[in-house]
Amino acid sequence: MSAILLLVLPFVGAILSFLAGKREKAYAFYVAQAVGIMLFGLTLFLFVTYTNPIDISIKWFTFGSFSLPFGIYIDHLSLVMLLIATGLGALDIHFSHDYMKGEKDQSRYYAKILFFIGGMILLVSAKELLGLFVGWEFMGLASYLLISFWHQNKAPADAGVYAFLYTKFGDIFLFAAVGILFYATGTLDLQQLNHLAKSGEISDSITFVAALFIFIAAIGKSGQFPLFPWLMRAMEGPTTVSALIHGATMVNSGIYIVARLFDFYIASETLIIVATVASLSAFIGATSALVQTEIKKVLAYSTMSHLSLAFIGLGAGSLAAGMGHLTNHAVFKALLFLSAGAVIMATHHTKDLFKLGGLGGKLRLVALMMAIGGLSLSGIPPLSGFYSKDAVIASVLINPQTYGVISTLTVIAGVLSIAYILRVWILIFAGKPKEDAIYQKTTAPSIFWIILPLSIMAILTIVLACYQEELAVYITNEAYHEPHIPYLPIYLLGMIAFLGWGVYRLYYKRVDLKEKLVAQPLFKSIHGVLLNGYYIESMIGWFVKNFILEAVAKAIAWFDYAVIDASINAFVPIARFFFRGVGATHSNKPSNQAGVMMLGLFLLLAMILIGSLV
Amino acid sequence: MNDVVLIFLPLVASLFVYLFYQSSGGAKYSVLIFFGYLLYHTISLYAMLPDTGYLELGCYLEVESFDFTLTLAVDKLSVIMLILTSILLILVTLSSWTVSKAPSAYFALLLFFSGAIFGVFMSTNLLWFFIFWELTLVPMYFLVGIWGAEGRIYAAVKFFLYTHVASMLILLAFFLLYKQSGHFDMTLIKEAMLTTPALVWWLLFVGFAVKMPLFPFHTWLPDAHVQAPAPVSALLAGVLLKMGAYAMIRMVILMLPEQAQHYAWILLVLGLVSLLYAGVMALYETHLKKMVAYSSISHMGLVAIAMATLTYEGLSAALFEMIGHAFIISPLFLIAGFIHHQTHSWQMGEMGGIMQKAPYISALFIIAGLGALGMPATMGFVGEIAILISSIDRFGLWIAVIVIGSMLAASYMIWSFRRVIYGEMSPLIARSSFDISSVEFFSLILFAFLIVLLGLFPQLIFVSINEAFEVYLKMGVLR
Repeated sequence: MSAILLLVLPFVGAILSFLAGKREKAYAFYVAQAVGIMLFGLTLFLFVTYTNPIDISIKWFTFGSFSLPFGIYIDHLSLVMLLIATGLGALDIHFSHDYMKGEKDQSRYYAKILFFIGGMILLVSAKELLGLFVGWEFMGLASYLLISFWHQNKAPADAGVYAFLYTKFGDIFLFAAVGILFYATGTLDLQQLNHLAKSGEISDSITFVAALFIFIAAIGKSGQFPLFPWLMRAMEGPTTVSALIHGATMVNSGIYIVARLFDFYIASETLIIVATVASLSAFIGATSALVQTEIKKVLAYSTMSHLSLAFIGLGAGSLAAGMGHLTNHAVFKALLFLSAGAVIMATHHTKDLFKLGGLGGKLRLVALMMAIGGLSLSGIPPLSGFYSKDAVIASVLINPQTYGVISTLTVIAGVLSIAYILRVWILIFAGKPKEDAIYQKTTAPSIFWIILPLSIMAILTIVLACYQEELAVYITNEAYHEPHIPYLPIYLLGMIAFLGWGVYRLYYKRVDLKEKLVAQPLFKSIHGVLLNGYYIESMIGWFVKNFILEAVAKAIAWFDYAVIDASINAFVPIARFFFRGVGATHSNKPSNQAGVMMLGLFLLLAMILIGSLV
Repeated sequence: MNDVVLIFLPLVASLFVYLFYQSSGGAKYSVLIFFGYLLYHTISLYAMLPDTGYLELGCYLEVESFDFTLTLAVDKLSVIMLILTSILLILVTLSSWTVSKAPSAYFALLLFFSGAIFGVFMSTNLLWFFIFWELTLVPMYFLVGIWGAEGRIYAAVKFFLYTHVASMLILLAFFLLYKQSGHFDMTLIKEAMLTTPALVWWLLFVGFAVKMPLFPFHTWLPDAHVQAPAPVSALLAGVLLKMGAYAMIRMVILMLPEQAQHYAWILLVLGLVSLLYAGVMALYETHLKKMVAYSSISHMGLVAIAMATLTYEGLSAALFEMIGHAFIISPLFLIAGFIHHQTHSWQMGEMGGIMQKAPYISALFIIAGLGALGMPATMGFVGEIAILISSIDRFGLWIAVIVIGSMLAASYMIWSFRRVIYGEMSPLIARSSFDISSVEFFSLILFAFLIVLLGLFPQLIFVSINEAFEVYLKMGVLR
């Protein structure tokens, strides 16, 4: 019962929040806050009272003899995702109170946020692939609407289009997979699909194709290579939205779907593809994050890279490593994003890293929170990020299939995260202020509305670190021994010292050296490649523009106009020509009439002639 | 009210409505009341249907030597179409509430149209079917030709001639059927015919494909839609195209099942081409209403694919998608027409930022557009998934390529949201006002409500849709 309430409440809440906000702007927040806390409370209740998986079957509709169900299935894996979604959702709504204070469309904002949370809940508690797809699309829609929240400006409006279409490109594969699996197995039940694939009752080729299609959808949603450019554009949305949707929850759904169908994936033998694509993405994300100039873009590339690490964990065959990293990442990335949001808000919407600096004194608490998040992201013990990163890297090294290129890229991506997050922190909080005007008007944020949610997340990051083994056992339902790399903390400390020194030199002590380095032609071109995300977006854009819009669409449009429509319109002159000729025979000129009479006579005679000959 | 009266009363009464209300503006009220009655009547017809699902409503005008009896009968399929038509007539009347040019003539023509279209869905005699089929053209011709936009005469003539030529093929097919079987009555033909010449099937197929419309017979539609006033576009998309699709199901598939088995691949190929071809055209189009028109063709392609399965599931999916298409495309046309009316522009490039001026109308446009691109919780999604599953079931995995259609739909819809609704306010939008009359707004709300309601609870109508085709499954016509 409470499961159904959990599914319905966010949507009802969205409507209520919208209506309340129309009545009085501030009410929208209070309704959303209440609903957010209620959702978290319900999830906690389910978590505490959990004994067996909640399993509810509902028939959605029947067409012909086919019946499509829409069930609810909540087990350990779903509960972890639910706790992340509703917990971070509630904190995010709390944070939004100050962040969105000046907005006039608050009702719209909170309604969409609740709609988003509803979509996420739908996704993770779906029993069938169909229900999962519905949640998947709802989130895509909410993401689109929230990225374009400031729709009156060009950049957010464009960013929404990118986000929708890039992810939709993946979604159509998921949609096709729904059809294919229903055809092949007659069921869409996720548990049953796992079971059928495991026992080999689905043919290998169908399992392979379906798994691949689902993974393409996951690539789109989780911002993996090559469908990631939308994630960077998505940073045009409010930072609270980036934190919740593009950092902590929605982008996880690609990993969730692979984890949910993990047995299916093992049977399909596509995990190596997952690991390969993800390791490439991890490398691209981590290297691109090194040079970004916007605070949120660094975090976006870092999100991409860390989601890849979770994918790599799954790809290496370790469900616990992948899901563990997902959980930890969700918390510390939300923390980082919201700290960045606090900085952006305090500095009156300055996102350019090179305009900030020296804010450590003014924003002491925010600096502390961001440091905790950053250390966790870098994988420094004893924070949560250390354990899961360790597990991912170790699982890659253990698996002979992923040992080699994949493990190398993974390690590089893991290590580079130390460098880019340190760079962000130094550029914001250390050194001297670069623009005095911005520095002057910077004010410390409110303790209750801003610092409170941040500190809850920071504490969570620390607490989670103590429960890594328990989390792994909880998710996989089996005794689990986390693989460890021996002496990893020592390597790490060495890396930190080295990278820290490098970043410190380049961005703090010897800025001139950095400038000189960037001026070198080789470094300049590398810098350009990294800054533009390896030009993937330009390449896709070029392809779509020149191949689809300029070639195919133009050709079809020409064909439609000059061949099909023209051949219809050609009937008019043909008819006119024909009838003009016939019309002439019926004019009242004697010569014409005589001519026609003669023609008729000849025709008659010719017919008689032919008839007599045959 | 007797059903034959229901057909002929509006045909005759339209003249009196025109004359009587010429000076006062009351025509719309009486027409609306009549359409409301039609809805009530069709729903009670549905309730009256016996278990066999076939209800004969009477025979009129019997002639001794020639099969010219006006036989009226309905089954579930036609009653569903009648209910859909009644709902759309009401909504179209509401959205024409502020017609200022000769309102009495406008509403009289709507009334006339309702009589003709009821005749099409009710008569089982092919000659009468044809007469009513042609009668629907008359009010449409005038509605486009008089109340249309700048190029209305060209569009009206093209529409009339194109569809009329197609009708000649249909008439020819009917005569061939008569020559073979000695009957004009659909049910009698079905019983009497053992084999039908392929020519009949082809003639009927082409004749109805023009109306649906399927590639390559679609070029009348963008012109007619663009020039027609917005409510008439909605009527064209919601009722007239459905008439073609209905006839396709009723005659090409259910009346001639053997030929249909043989030639279903044609329907499949043309459906597939329409889906992708029109999708790309919609993507390329910069003209707002043409974009919607091509989107409409693209979705009818999907309907054709579902029909080509010739299975119980496929036809149920096709009928659902037809209804969904009517409720989704109509408001898109209405809003596109409204925007044109306020801005006098069709070019999406000149628009932008309507959300800032008219948030609610923009939101309704987005809801309908999301329906068109197959967002879950709208009718579009249900139709698409049903068609996907039933066509994969029939044709195999390769037919999953129809998901490319959803990608195209998402592309042109989202891109048009960006150009029309989102973004910075263009000067054109800034100087136009977007005041909509409350009645017209109400009709848009009703459309959006239906899209979402039936998208969330499709079982509400799938119950009747399934029953409509179950009969044919039992008869062995469908698989």
